[in-house]
Amino acid sequence: MTELIVKKLNKRFGGLHVLKDVSFEIKGAELVGLIGPNGAGKTTLTNVLDGAIQPNSGTVYLNHHRIDQMQPFEVAKVGLGRTFQVTRSFRRMTVLENLYVPAQALGTKLSKAEIHDKSMEVLEFLTMDHLRNEYAQALSGGQQKLLELGRLLMLNPEVIILDEPFAGVHPKLMKIIYKYIERVNQSGSAIILISHQMDSIFSLCNRLLVLNYGDLIADGPPDDVKNDPHVIEAYLGIDEEEAE
Amino acid sequence: MNKTHAPNIAGVVLIAFFMAFPFVYTADDYPYIMHILITGFFYAILTASWTMLAGYAGQFSFGHMGFMAVGAYTTALFSHYIYLTPEPTNFCTEFAFGDGYLIVLDPIGVTSSTLKQDCLRQAMEVWGDGVAVTPMPVWLGITLGTLMGGIFGFLIGTLVLPLRAAYLALFTLGFSEILRAAISAEIAVTRGQAGIELPALFQDGVTLFGKHFDKTDKLPPYFIMFFLLLFCLGLLGLLAKSKFGLFVRALREDQDAAAALGVNTTRYKVMVFVITSMIAAGAGATMAHYVGIISPNNLVILQMSLIVAMAVIGGVENIVAAAVGAILLEFLLEMLRNSFQIGPVEIDMTVWRLVFFGVLLMLTLRFSPKGLLVPTIDYFLRGHIGKETVAKRGQNKPDDEPGSEAVN
Repeated sequence: MTELIVKKLNKRFGGLHVLKDVSFEIKGAELVGLIGPNGAGKTTLTNVLDGAIQPNSGTVYLNHHRIDQMQPFEVAKVGLGRTFQVTRSFRRMTVLENLYVPAQALGTKLSKAEIHDKSMEVLEFLTMDHLRNEYAQALSGGQQKLLELGRLLMLNPEVIILDEPFAGVHPKLMKIIYKYIERVNQSGSAIILISHQMDSIFSLCNRLLVLNYGDLIADGPPDDVKNDPHVIEAYLGIDEEEAE
Repeated sequence: MNKTHAPNIAGVVLIAFFMAFPFVYTADDYPYIMHILITGFFYAILTASWTMLAGYAGQFSFGHMGFMAVGAYTTALFSHYIYLTPEPTNFCTEFAFGDGYLIVLDPIGVTSSTLKQDCLRQAMEVWGDGVAVTPMPVWLGITLGTLMGGIFGFLIGTLVLPLRAAYLALFTLGFSEILRAAISAEIAVTRGQAGIELPALFQDGVTLFGKHFDKTDKLPPYFIMFFLLLFCLGLLGLLAKSKFGLFVRALREDQDAAAALGVNTTRYKVMVFVITSMIAAGAGATMAHYVGIISPNNLVILQMSLIVAMAVIGGVENIVAAAVGAILLEFLLEMLRNSFQIGPVEIDMTVWRLVFFGVLLMLTLRFSPKGLLVPTIDYFLRGHIGKETVAKRGQNKPDDEPGSEAVN
């Protein structure tokens, strides 16, 4: 069973304390929403979990592997994958080549033909198989988001962090991304979903983490979090009494 | 015939042409044309390896001529300073080596013709004709030069790990300039601007196809450089099609995204520097033995600019296109040396040829950024892709296939 344990994470950039003693655990195929106002520390937390930046203190364990001191490529191999807030496809590589990268980086014993077949299966699921030989730069923004998600399917991680997967996406593509999230979650992977689209967050997630100026101010089921006074204050900028 | 086979057929025709050329070309300017082709092959190796580094891996290095010089100077110093003798000289620094002695000459700069300063010549005067002095084999010098290029490539590749884009370009330019300045300054060892002489590739001549060629004949170095080019293109082509090629291209596109997908970006960034530096150093060492002298002038920024321009005009993202572009441009640059007259005005092409070259580079960058050869290759290899995409899209049901729509 997937187990991600984050303990007392702190990250400072100069005088700015971006993550303050952030602790939480994810066990099994949970679908967790990570929300918070702009500047709350969501992307920093993602970067720390992914190994892109190292915390000043605290620990992160994924399935008993300590990953907070690892390089991003090592974290990916241990089983944590992510997408980026701004899509980062390999633009001058074909769609298929984009998918081959994580499959080959994993060092699995799959043959080239098997990797190709798996890539085609992923593209068919994402309804992009007809674009397989196009360069990624020829795709629309939405299609590039799908491609980024496809790359994660090839990586097959146990924990996936999706950073704003719905931002600027056409409703039809949203349906595919919803299906994607359900498929990945049903296959046993835990998902951390970062989004400002509350409708999507509340309909998909069974647990929410709320960050505000580096503090984890809430952790629980969506309905509880929705009514949490700290969350209301963070989002609306008013205290509980005023809200009432 | 399938259209996609056309580039392969063109490749075979080109190889056959260059294999046959020295035997069918018989004009008076044979040595001159052969020299241009040998130089063209040399530049093709440098350009192809730089294309792997900059075009494939996105490491826009200006240090490539520096790595070339590392190889050339390593073999030059090796062949200039180290000898084997059966007896100790008692004048030079020497070490017992097998049945004889490994002699290291003292650095004596540009005054090496003065017998008294040359410890080996002093010893030879004492010995008379009875003692044979053996120079180091050329192949060993070239091998050492290639390895030294790899070591320098590793060091520079490691140092530039955190650097990207313009910072990397400036750093590598700095490396090349420092190397040039150091070689120029160390007159005692390198003979500075005067350059250091090297033995020919085949100092005692060589017999090929039943015919003896002496050390100044062009045919042996022609085939040495041509086969070296084919070997390098084969190696780079294999790498480009392998996992290595896939990863370095991912590295070029987005280093952070590649790392997040499990690519050890540090390893591949250093590896691409080591491999391309070794190729540049190997080519430099071989060329230095062919020319017979290496000087710091080979490191001037103009030389590096020539490599960049050749790659850009040929096609910076295609190894073969870059190599072919380099040969064509080297030939073109030489042909442009012929001055001509328009009415009373004489156009001195020894000066104007570089202007012509610059204009060609600017026009290529403006109107065909992928190079002049790559669009032609793409026409054959990727011409069908667009049609295929549209045909496949047509088979899908429009309402159920949002991935096929241009959605932003």
